[in-house]
Amino acid sequence: MDMDSMQLFNIVLTGVLRGGLYALMAVGLSLVFGVMNIPNFAHGEFYMLGAYFSYFTYTYFHFGPISSILLAAVGTFILGAIAEKTLFYPLRKRSKKNWIMNTFLLTLGISIVLQNGAKMLWGNTYRGITQYWPGKVSIASFNISNDRIAGFCIAMVTIAIFWLFLNKTTMGRAIRAVSQDETGASIVGVNLNVIHTLTFALSCLLAGLAGAILLSISPAYPFMGVQPLYKSWFVLILVGMGNIGASIYGGLLVGLLETFAYMKFGSGWQDVVSLAIIIMILIFKPRGLFAKKGVKSVSE
Amino acid sequence: MLEISGIDTSYGNLQVLWDVSLNIGEGEIVAVLGPNGSGKTTMLKSIMNLVSVKRGKIMFLGQDITGKPIHELTRLGLAFVPEERHLFPAMTVMENLLLGAYTIRNKKIIKETFNRVFELFPRLAERKKQYAGTMSGGERQMLAIARGIMSNPKMLILDEPSMGLAPQNVLAVFETIKKLSAEKVTVLIVEQNVNTTLTVADRAYVMEQGRIVMEGSSSQLQGDDHIRKMYMGIA
Ligand SMILES: Nc1ncnc2c1ncn2[C@@H]1O[C@H](COP(=O)(O)OP(=O)(O)O)[C@@H](O)[C@H]1O
Ligand SMILES: [Mg+2]
Repeated sequence: MDMDSMQLFNIVLTGVLRGGLYALMAVGLSLVFGVMNIPNFAHGEFYMLGAYFSYFTYTYFHFGPISSILLAAVGTFILGAIAEKTLFYPLRKRSKKNWIMNTFLLTLGISIVLQNGAKMLWGNTYRGITQYWPGKVSIASFNISNDRIAGFCIAMVTIAIFWLFLNKTTMGRAIRAVSQDETGASIVGVNLNVIHTLTFALSCLLAGLAGAILLSISPAYPFMGVQPLYKSWFVLILVGMGNIGASIYGGLLVGLLETFAYMKFGSGWQDVVSLAIIIMILIFKPRGLFAKKGVKSVSE
Repeated sequence: MLEISGIDTSYGNLQVLWDVSLNIGEGEIVAVLGPNGSGKTTMLKSIMNLVSVKRGKIMFLGQDITGKPIHELTRLGLAFVPEERHLFPAMTVMENLLLGAYTIRNKKIIKETFNRVFELFPRLAERKKQYAGTMSGGERQMLAIARGIMSNPKMLILDEPSMGLAPQNVLAVFETIKKLSAEKVTVLIVEQNVNTTLTVADRAYVMEQGRIVMEGSSSQLQGDDHIRKMYMGIA
């Protein structure tokens, strides 16, 4: 390979590996917005909690990598369910007026409480591990750590299972039904309370899983959720709000854009360049790249 | 089977229903007629708890269902086909129908109901893979009724099923209602299409300004002066 195609290959490889995890985060964020109309600004904190979960299970309780990651998923699922039942459910019962604004503020509050709670409990230090799976793989003279490859594979398998769940099971179909027509769903007998709790918990599970997978690359830290939160919002705004399938492509795309900007312009530029490109795309497609008719946009 | 006694319903401070009572026996086809804005839809929504009633009681199969969550009503055997349809636009005909059978766990019953529905609406059978959001108004109405039937209801509640339909589709809708009735499904129907409705219904109620002002058998109402003048355009 010549220099240019080498570099291109490197960009694509790194971009896809990074993008796979953005996709995982973005799918969860999109799910909660599409089904519950909640712009979740605490999504990053469930990513953070996932990282802590797997850190403690891995280093203190000596679980294997897979069990640590799975336990983080189960843990964030349960925490998500509790958050929905104790915070969003009572709010929904009281009033659906200004719902988006109120839940936005509520998630912001949850985010601050969780960040500072983590700081209080576990301190302001980085808690990481060196590796889940020691070793590297060489692909065309690039060395990639096993953890990055495994992380990408787990993310893709999770997304595939999640896609099958949404499309092929009764429960998954009910979740999509609620996102398309809430009244229609309750008319056919769907219990909205169950679906809302399940949806929020699943979304937290996806975020927690991402945090756990990346533990050896980005260590657990109380404020680690901010960056991935913004990245997932870039994805959602880019592809159109509440469009779950498109969030997968969007995640990969943002990963590629960032890697491209990082490698061409140096670190510090990745957010500037990728955001500039996203803004330009939105000028031409204000409802997002894959906006569907009848699907909510940012402006609504 | 369904017994509404003296309900009042309001939207905020605006009271829409005043002391409404209505009775439907098993296997009957009962119509509710009345001008636009008289409260017919509000009455159906009161039954389904889509709006909450202020006063009065609603019984279904001997059980008090006032204020019961709507998803539980479906399990009791009530199916509601709303005026606004509330289909799932980004899902196929097949998926919409499957969701109609959401409360049924027995796969064999679901399959039988599919056959029954496709027999009633051959057009839907041809379009299993089409997205509901891309269908014509008439097809969407068929799908909404079909989705209601998929739950194997004891009682079907229809809000203006013929609204916006071409004449041959209107006919198909009324044929379907007759067939369902022959299969022992009780039907409560709200309609503007008074002539045709009175030919299929056993009995009818007339609602004006949120109150029931008249009730009787279809033949009684067909002969009534007020009805003939106001609703059938016969002087
Ligand atoms: N969601 C609502 N909020 C406030 N008023 C409503 C609402 N829905 C209906 N109304 C009012 O209630 C009255 C009865 O409406 P409706 O039940 O839809 O009548 P119909 O179905 O007989 O045409 C009308 O005056 C209508 O404007
Ligand atoms: Mg109406």
